[in-house]
Amino acid sequence: MDLNYDSISEGDKIPSITKEPITQTQLVRYSGASGDFNPIHTVPEYAIQAGLEGTIAHGMLVMGILGQMISSWAGIRAVKKYGVSFKGMTKPGEVLTASGEVKKKYEKEGEKLIDCTVKIEDQAGDLKVEGKVTIAVGKAVVIIEAP
Amino acid sequence: MGLDLSYKGKDFPSFTFEVERGKIKELCMAIGDDNPIFFEKEAARKAGYEDTPAPLTFPTVMNFWGYPEIWERMKDIGIDVQRLLHAKEEYEYLSPIYPGDMITGTVSVDSMRDGAMSMVTFKSTYTREGETVLVAKMTIIIPPVKGDA
Repeated sequence: MDLNYDSISEGDKIPSITKEPITQTQLVRYSGASGDFNPIHTVPEYAIQAGLEGTIAHGMLVMGILGQMISSWAGIRAVKKYGVSFKGMTKPGEVLTASGEVKKKYEKEGEKLIDCTVKIEDQAGDLKVEGKVTIAVGKAVVIIEAP
Repeated sequence: MGLDLSYKGKDFPSFTFEVERGKIKELCMAIGDDNPIFFEKEAARKAGYEDTPAPLTFPTVMNFWGYPEIWERMKDIGIDVQRLLHAKEEYEYLSPIYPGDMITGTVSVDSMRDGAMSMVTFKSTYTREGETVLVAKMTIIIPPVKGDA
């Protein structure tokens, strides 16, 4: 479904999603899918040796969950830019919620665009990832002036 | 251990990555994203796509499966890969990526900062038939060793 520029307002919330708890099996699966085999995500002994309490989720898995919320709402083609900063580690057992908000709507270079802030928090409200996404929501009306 | 700043701005050898339908599904299953546009060609076509599009974080698959040498390159630069932390990841999407696409990727060292908190940004540029389809930036930091001042 394509978003409609005129029906979007600054301050609108992106429909949030809450996931099932992260599992160790999911981290094994994500390692294979992504090709990131850093054992910090899959081998508890290695993670402990590295100074952690145990394995932690791939930051990219958390960014992927946030991406799920974005593409469920806006599709794939409309997304122009998507960037995040990693703020906190995610451990197996944690329940992640993705949310976002429309911050700005504007026209630029013939396109109607919206900028949204997006984030992931766990069940305790601890921030894991925060970022920004720019989405095209239609072509701007171009007025061609006679020379 | 310091970083070798002579790598700043350097391009690593390009690589080719074929986008497979199964890899798109596999990533979505690991994320737990059951949007049918990623799994069924018909659903994707109904939504206006040529085929099942690559999801937003698919570039990570192209990076790690297409250029696993990145870990060795990091060591060459002087990065302690056991201690690195992923600080930022940014994508600019120029054209959707589909199964069967032959993508050429080139990783370069976009910026480097050495110090108590070293930081390196890698930029990956992905092209299809000469046209840039995606630009990815990954920033990693190497925190100071505990006890070091």
